[in-house]
Amino acid sequence: MMRNALARIGAATLALAMTTTALAACSPSEGSESGDPTTITMLVLGDKPTNGRLEAMLDKLNERLEAEANADLELFYVEWADWQTQYNTQLLSGDDSIDLITTATDWLFAWENAEKGAFLPLSEEMLQENAPRTWEQVNADGHWDLTKLDDGQIYFIPEDNYTQYTNHGFFYRGDWAAEAGIPDGTITKFEQFTTYFEWVKEHQKDAYPWDIAGANDAALTGYLQGHTDGQTIQQISAGNYFPFQTTEADPYTVTSWYMEGDELLQAAELAKKWNDIGVWREDALNYDGDTREEFYAGLSGADQHHTQTFVTQIVDNMTKKQPGSDPKFFYWGQENGNVFKDILTHGAMAVNATSKHPEKALEVYDIVRNDEEAYKLLNFGIEGTDYVVTDDGELAYPDGYDSSTDALGSNFWAGRMDDFELDKVTDAPNKGEIYADLDAVAKEYPYSTLIVNKDMIDPTLAAMGGVLSEYLPQLQYGKFDDPAAAIEEMRQKLRDAGYEDARESIQSDMDAWASERGLK
Amino acid sequence: MSHVVAAKGPRKVRADRSDYLLRGSSYLTVTAFAAFCALPFILIVSASFSSESAIMREGFGLLPKDFTFAAYEYIFRAPRQIIGSYVVTVVMTVAGTSLGLFIIAMTGYALQRKDFPFRNQISFFIYFTTLFSAGLAPTYIWISRYLGLRGNYLAVFLPLLMTPWLIILMKNFMRTVPYEIVESGKVDGAGDFRIFFRLVLPMMKPALATIGLFLALGYWNEWYLSSLYLGSTVEFKPLQYHLYNIINTANALRNSVAGSNVSITELPSNTLKMASAVVATGPIVLLYPFVQKYFVSGITVGAVKG
Amino acid sequence: MVMQASVATPPRVGQHEIVRTRRRKTLLGRIVQHRVLLLMCLPAIAFFVVFSYAPMPGAWIAFTNFNYRDGIFGSPFVGLRNFEFLIKSGQLWLLTKNTILYNVAFIVLGNILQIALAIMLNEIRSKYFKKISQAVMFLPYFISVVLIGVIAFNLLNYDTGALNALIEQTGGDPIKIYSIAGAWPIIIVLFQLWQSTGYGSIVYFAAIMGIDNSLFEAAAIDGASAWQRIRYIILPSLKPTFIILLLFALGGIMQGNFGLFWNLVGNNAALFQTTDIIETSVYRMIISQNNFTSSTAVGLYQSLFGFAAVMLCNWIVRRINEDYALF
Repeated sequence: MMRNALARIGAATLALAMTTTALAACSPSEGSESGDPTTITMLVLGDKPTNGRLEAMLDKLNERLEAEANADLELFYVEWADWQTQYNTQLLSGDDSIDLITTATDWLFAWENAEKGAFLPLSEEMLQENAPRTWEQVNADGHWDLTKLDDGQIYFIPEDNYTQYTNHGFFYRGDWAAEAGIPDGTITKFEQFTTYFEWVKEHQKDAYPWDIAGANDAALTGYLQGHTDGQTIQQISAGNYFPFQTTEADPYTVTSWYMEGDELLQAAELAKKWNDIGVWREDALNYDGDTREEFYAGLSGADQHHTQTFVTQIVDNMTKKQPGSDPKFFYWGQENGNVFKDILTHGAMAVNATSKHPEKALEVYDIVRNDEEAYKLLNFGIEGTDYVVTDDGELAYPDGYDSSTDALGSNFWAGRMDDFELDKVTDAPNKGEIYADLDAVAKEYPYSTLIVNKDMIDPTLAAMGGVLSEYLPQLQYGKFDDPAAAIEEMRQKLRDAGYEDARESIQSDMDAWASERGLK
Repeated sequence: MSHVVAAKGPRKVRADRSDYLLRGSSYLTVTAFAAFCALPFILIVSASFSSESAIMREGFGLLPKDFTFAAYEYIFRAPRQIIGSYVVTVVMTVAGTSLGLFIIAMTGYALQRKDFPFRNQISFFIYFTTLFSAGLAPTYIWISRYLGLRGNYLAVFLPLLMTPWLIILMKNFMRTVPYEIVESGKVDGAGDFRIFFRLVLPMMKPALATIGLFLALGYWNEWYLSSLYLGSTVEFKPLQYHLYNIINTANALRNSVAGSNVSITELPSNTLKMASAVVATGPIVLLYPFVQKYFVSGITVGAVKG
Repeated sequence: MVMQASVATPPRVGQHEIVRTRRRKTLLGRIVQHRVLLLMCLPAIAFFVVFSYAPMPGAWIAFTNFNYRDGIFGSPFVGLRNFEFLIKSGQLWLLTKNTILYNVAFIVLGNILQIALAIMLNEIRSKYFKKISQAVMFLPYFISVVLIGVIAFNLLNYDTGALNALIEQTGGDPIKIYSIAGAWPIIIVLFQLWQSTGYGSIVYFAAIMGIDNSLFEAAAIDGASAWQRIRYIILPSLKPTFIILLLFALGGIMQGNFGLFWNLVGNNAALFQTTDIIETSVYRMIISQNNFTSSTAVGLYQSLFGFAAVMLCNWIVRRINEDYALF
C-alpha cells in the first residue's frame, strides 16, 4: 500500500525534478570560434588574492598569450582551509571548465588521481606539437619516465628544472648553542640537541627549548634518518605517516623502521628524556599556537621545517627580529649523509581529463613555462609595481610594498625554471653554500618511477594509519612510561592490521619494478 | 489525562510558597547557567582586543591585555570583502527563512490533518531521509555534476530550506490547532489552503517564531556547504565561511607539506580567531530580541480557543 | 476534559466517518479529493526527492573501486573491501561503544537540562531578565568548534591554563588534564551541554508557550502547587516533543559530533580510549588517502545502526501510544 503510494508520488515529483535538472544542465557553453581567444583555466592552490594585482598582471600576460597563442589565462584557486578535501572534491565534480591542474606526487595525490582517471593521458605527439619547448627540455633531461603510469602513458609534466630542498630539520640559534658550549655553536649530531635544550631550559626562562604544536613526528623521523640508512618509500602513506622503507644497503627489500630494529626505541627514549627535561609544553599535542612566531620572538629555542623555509624566511626574520641570534639549520640525516634531493614531481602540471581545450592548454603552459617575459609576469608580476630588480640583479620589492597585503599570489608551482629565477634580497646570504653542501651529499630518490598498486592494500594501510596515529604522537612526545612495551604493543597491532600482507604486496611491486629495470 | 484531574484536588495551602520557591530557584539557576554560557564568550571578546604577544605569554583573561584593535583591523582591512559577505548572508538568511518557513508550515499543517489519508506515508517519506543519506561523495557528485549547482549560491541556499526535523516539529506544533477551526472554516466554505493561510497561520506565531529562528540560525551559521560548493568561485563568500577561512588557513598550512611553497609568517593567529567570532556573532545576537517577542507575547492557542 | 486532552493529543472528532468514506474511494479519487493538501506537501516532497532521494543510489560507491572515468556505476565492484579497514584496525567495537555512550549521555542529560531550563524560563516574570538571559544562553551556539578547542586549551592546559593557575593559587598541585583519559567524558559532555542547551531549550519553551492558558487558570483556581503544575500540566504536554526529539536523536545514535571531538582532543592519543569516536578515528585513518569510498562505507554502517535503533524505538512508542509514533 504505502510503497504504491510512494511510487506514485515519486513519479509525479520526479518529473518536476527532471525538468529542473534538465534546465540546470543546459547552461550555455562558452563558444570558442576561431578569432576569439580561448580561455584556459588553471587550478592553483592558495587563497585567492583580492588586492587587484593579480588581475592587472593577467591583463598584461593575456595580451602576450593572445598574440602568441590566441588564448587567455585564468586562475582557479583551491583555498587553504580544508584544501585536501577541496582539491579532491574539485576533481570529483568533473568540472570541465578547468583545463590545467596543479598536482604533485608527494602532497597532491598525483598518482592516485592519474589512476582514477582525473588526468588526460598526454601522448608524445600531443606534447611535441603543443608544448615543444617543454617536451624538448624534459626529454633531454630524461624525466618523462617520472610521470608515467604502468600503462606507459604520460600523465603530467614535472617541474623538473627548478632547484629546491624541502628536506626537514631543526632551526636553532647559533648564539645560544655557542653559550651552551657546543663547539662553534654548530650542532652536528642529533643528540647534541639534548645539551642545547638543557641549556635553554636552564638559562632562557621565557623560552621553551622547542615550542611545538600538535601532532608531529619530526623528532622520531629525524633520529631514524640520522641513525639508519632507511629510505622512505614516498608513494605509500598510512594515515598521516609513511611506514615503509628500504635500506641503502639492501635497496630492493621493503621493510619498515617502525617494525624492525632498535632505533625506534632509542628515538623514543631520547624523546622521553626531552619530555622529562621539559623541552616542549606538557600539552604540546593539543597546543595550537603559532610556534614560528614564538621562535622569532625569542620564546622558543628551536623550530622545525625544511631548507626552503630556512633560506627564504627564517634567516631574514631572525636577523631582523633577533639580531645576533645567528640562526642555523640542522637537517635530518646530516650526521650520516642519509638525505635526499627533492623528487622532481614535488610540483607538476596535469591536463584535466574533461578539458575542452587540451591542446590549447598545453600551448599556454608551454609559453608561461618557457617564455621569459610571460614567466616573469606570472611569477613575479609587473616590474616596478609588484617587484623591482636591484643593481645586483636581485629581486626586491618597491618602497611601501607590504607582503601581507600586496602579494601577487599567482602560486604557479608546476613549472618554475631555474633559468628565469632571481635571488631575492630576503634570501639567506649563504643560500648558495647551503645548496652546494646539500648538492654534494644528497642522494637521488631511487624510487621515482616505482608504481605501487594500492587497490588491495588500501584497507590495511588505513588500519595501519589508525594504529600509528595512536602510538607515534605519544612516542614522539615521550608520554609512555615504558616506551619499549609500547613499541612492542604497537608492532603487534600493526601485524594484526595486516602489515605483513601489505609489505609483501609492495615487495612484489618492487621486485617487478627492479627486474624490469635490470636492477635486481 | 487523569493526572490533571488529580491536580484539581484541594491543596490550596502550600501553593504560594511552592510558587515562590520555584520562581526564586529559577532566577538563580538561569542566572548561573547564563553566566556559565557567557564566561567563555567574555574570554573571547577580551582576547580579541588583546595583543598577540600578551596572549602568547599569559593566556586568556577576563579583561583585555595590551588593549588593541589589531585583530579587527586585520579583518576589516579589506572591508569590501566582509561587507559583501554580510550582504550575501543577510539576503540568504532572510529569503531562505521566509521561503522555508512557508513551505514547512504548509507541509506541517497538511501532515497533521487527520482526514488527510496520505499523511503517514508522506511523513515517513520525509523522516526516512534522516536515517539514510547518500553520503558526502554521492551527494556531491549529484549536486555538482547533475544539478550543475557548483559555484552557485543556490547550492547553499536550497539544501538549507528545510529539514525533516523542522517539518515534523511544525507538524507537532500544528496538532495544537483544534479541529473545530478547520471545520468552522469548511462550514464557511473556505478551501484547505485558505483555512491554513487565514485561520491557522495567525494562531501559530510561537511555532513560526521558533522554527523561523532555527532556519535563520541554520543560514547564518552555514559554512560547510559553502566550502563544498562555493570554494573560491564566488566573489563574496557567505560570512561564516569567510571567517572559517581566516581561522583555518594558518592551521591548514602549518600541518601540511604544502607549507613548502608558502609563507605562513603573515597569517593570523589567536586574537584574530577570537575577533572573527565576535564579528560573526554580533549581529544575530542583536536580532534575537526581535524574534523573542513572539515567544513571550504571542497569542497562544488557548487564548483563541477560549 | 476534551479541551485539556487537545493539548497533548489531537481530537478524534469525526475521524471514524472519514476513514469509512475513504475506504470506498479509489486512489485517484482520494488524490483528487485531497489535491489541495497534497499540493501543499508537494514543494517539500520535491525538495526531499531532489536533495535526499536522488543521490541515494550513489551510495553504491561504497562497494566499488571508484574511478572518475567510469563513474559510480561503471567502476569495478569490490564487495565489502571498503569496509575492511574498520575491522582490521581492531577498533570497531571501542569506537561503536564510545560513539553510542556519548550520544546517550548527550540525549539524556541534554533533554533533562533543556526541559528544566525551559520550565524555569517560563517561571520568570521579568521580561528583560528573560530576554537577556535567553540571548546569553544562545551565545555558545554561535561559537565555532575551532574556537571551543582553543578556549578549552586555555582553560585546561598544564603550563598556562586558567584552571591550574587557580589550583596553584590555592596551594594545590597542577593537574595534567590532557593526560587523564578518565576526565574527558565529563569535559566533552560539559562542552556539548554548554553549546547546545540554550538552543535546544527553545523548542521546549515554545511548547510550553503553546499550552492552553485556561489549563493554568483552572489549576490556579483549584489551588495546584507549582510542582503539581509542572508534573500534571507542563510535563505531559512536552511528551510529544520529547518523543520526536528522541526519535530523531536515535537516528543519529552512531553519528558523532566530529568538530567538537576533533577540536577538543585532536591527536592526543593518550585520551583515545575514552574519546575516540567513529568520525575521528576514520578521519585519522583516511585523511591522506583521498578515499571517498571508505567514508561512504562508514556512513552506511552508521545509517544501518541508526535505522535499526529508530525502528525498534518507534515500534515501542507505537505500542504504548500510537499518536506519539512518528510513522
